[in-house]
Amino acid sequence: MQDVLDKPRSGDVPPAAPAARTATVRRRRNSRARWELTARIAALSLFCLLLLFPFVWLVSQSLKDTNQYFATPFEWIPSPFRWENFTDVIFKYEFLHYIGNSLWLAVYAVVVNILSSSFVAYGFSRFRFPGRNALFMVVLATMMLPGQVMTISLYRFYREIGWIDTFYPLLIPKLFGAAFEIFLFRQFFLSLPREVDEAARIDGCGTLRTWWHIILPQSKPVIIVVAVFTFLGSWRELFGPLIYLTGEENRTLPLGLLYFTSPFGSSLPMLMAAIVISLIPPVVLYALGQKYIDKGVAIAEIK
Amino acid sequence: MSMVSAEQRPRLKRRWWRREGVQGYLYISPWLLGFLMFGVAPLIAAFMTSLSKANVFRTIRFVGTDNYSKILTDDPVFATIAGNMLIYVIGSTIISIGLGLILALLLFKDFRGNHVFRTLIYVPSLLVGIATAYLFKQVFRGGEVGLANMFLSLFGTEPVNWLGNSEKPWLALVALILVNVWFAGGTMLIFLAGLKGIPASYFEAARVDGAGPWQMFRKVTLPLLSPVIVFNTVMALIGHIQVFETPLAFANSGGVATGNPLGYENSLGTFVTYLYVKGFVYQDMGYASALAFIMFAATLVLTGLVLWLARRFTAYGDADQN
Repeated sequence: MQDVLDKPRSGDVPPAAPAARTATVRRRRNSRARWELTARIAALSLFCLLLLFPFVWLVSQSLKDTNQYFATPFEWIPSPFRWENFTDVIFKYEFLHYIGNSLWLAVYAVVVNILSSSFVAYGFSRFRFPGRNALFMVVLATMMLPGQVMTISLYRFYREIGWIDTFYPLLIPKLFGAAFEIFLFRQFFLSLPREVDEAARIDGCGTLRTWWHIILPQSKPVIIVVAVFTFLGSWRELFGPLIYLTGEENRTLPLGLLYFTSPFGSSLPMLMAAIVISLIPPVVLYALGQKYIDKGVAIAEIK
Repeated sequence: MSMVSAEQRPRLKRRWWRREGVQGYLYISPWLLGFLMFGVAPLIAAFMTSLSKANVFRTIRFVGTDNYSKILTDDPVFATIAGNMLIYVIGSTIISIGLGLILALLLFKDFRGNHVFRTLIYVPSLLVGIATAYLFKQVFRGGEVGLANMFLSLFGTEPVNWLGNSEKPWLALVALILVNVWFAGGTMLIFLAGLKGIPASYFEAARVDGAGPWQMFRKVTLPLLSPVIVFNTVMALIGHIQVFETPLAFANSGGVATGNPLGYENSLGTFVTYLYVKGFVYQDMGYASALAFIMFAATLVLTGLVLWLARRFTAYGDADQN
């Protein structure tokens, strides 16, 4: 990928420049390139500044009390810092509990989704069977379906079998793989050399063991990408939990945020602190999986 | 794989479940099962529900297409929402695609710090959800406290009442669209991957032929990037049609139960928030199911429109595109 990036650059001065091209032309070309680069960086810096402002503002507001929050003129650096906001949110506002719920749901989703989606993708990428391509198109097509269409009848079904206000409606469907993740795994598996599976097979290794011992160990990049995306998806999911989890006991972090103002009246700095807390795990996770995610997007883009 | 197994088949009598085809089905069976249970079955059930009406005692009555005709012809709230959605989806898609593409083009050059910019732009798009929705609700707060108004005051503009303006309820929708500026990083990254996939020799050739930057963009980048543009546009449309957290957060004052979840004069109503209100607040499942199918139909129509436009206006170099 890097060399692709480098190539246009080496083209700035064409290798086969005719002798007629004088030094002045080249200098003008260089200064133009430098000007262009400066403009590029200036535009990007301005945009990033705009992008970062709300987040800096958020952190600043999360460290204030209500009076400081509404004070004009605005104070970017709060004095004094109210670090208690964070401990209050976590302990007094039950956020420890919500974080716990969200965390185990997300970890469950990651583990189960990696296993089930890679299992299914292995079937799609290493076996030939009638209707395979058509079925894979169906996998892709399900990504277009708005989940809400199904949610309504699933909700009624879960209500009949007494699953409302339990975690089952969020846990059970994950056992069957998810379309986007199946797609990512399949694309990746297709790029793995088949010779290794062949060799394993000749040595008497069954397909199940091939999946577990040969394919998965080679798939670290895509596993990390799927892990990050699945975690983020589960961490921020609101619609499902909002409908299925009705009791306070089972609230996830997004639900805790949604219902935030209920107990202690308006306490915006606390809400800001709660938002900061809920944004930290995604940022950390991205930082950890960063070098794989760019490639993962490249995998996803190949249609 | 199949070649080897074909050679071996006569020698080794294989059990039926060892056959390649059977094994393939076994491996995809979890998805197939899940698709039937959590996809096909609820889809059919939802369609049946959309043709019925249940009263408070949950006795279900078949009403034919009543729900659909009521939504489409006799529901002023839905009419407002359909208008909202049209503006929101078009505005947001323009931001996602236009801004995403511009940012990708700016980053499509190797320079020191490129990586930092890319990360800063991409990360917010991973944070989208109720947390950022509440953050932007404070950003677009009326009065001098809101960050958007603080920014505008630098240019001497009076504070704007964004989310509850009785004279200009549409300002809430504008705020809702503007939030997408912060989440253009997702499309940006896919555009960047697409740009990197264009063989450098094409740019080289255009340069040797004396193409300027604009010509280069029009004649080389844009046509070769068109499959990625189409892909991104379709994905952006689907995502924007299903917008939920931000309008819900913008509209609610306090918990979800207080205030109109569709915003002041329904100015923040979207398909999914309306579906949520009808289905899960008022428990009118038939109506909500019909809404879901109308939303699905709208998705298909818009996707079809994009694909049709793409076919009309772009020349695919099909040989090179995978």
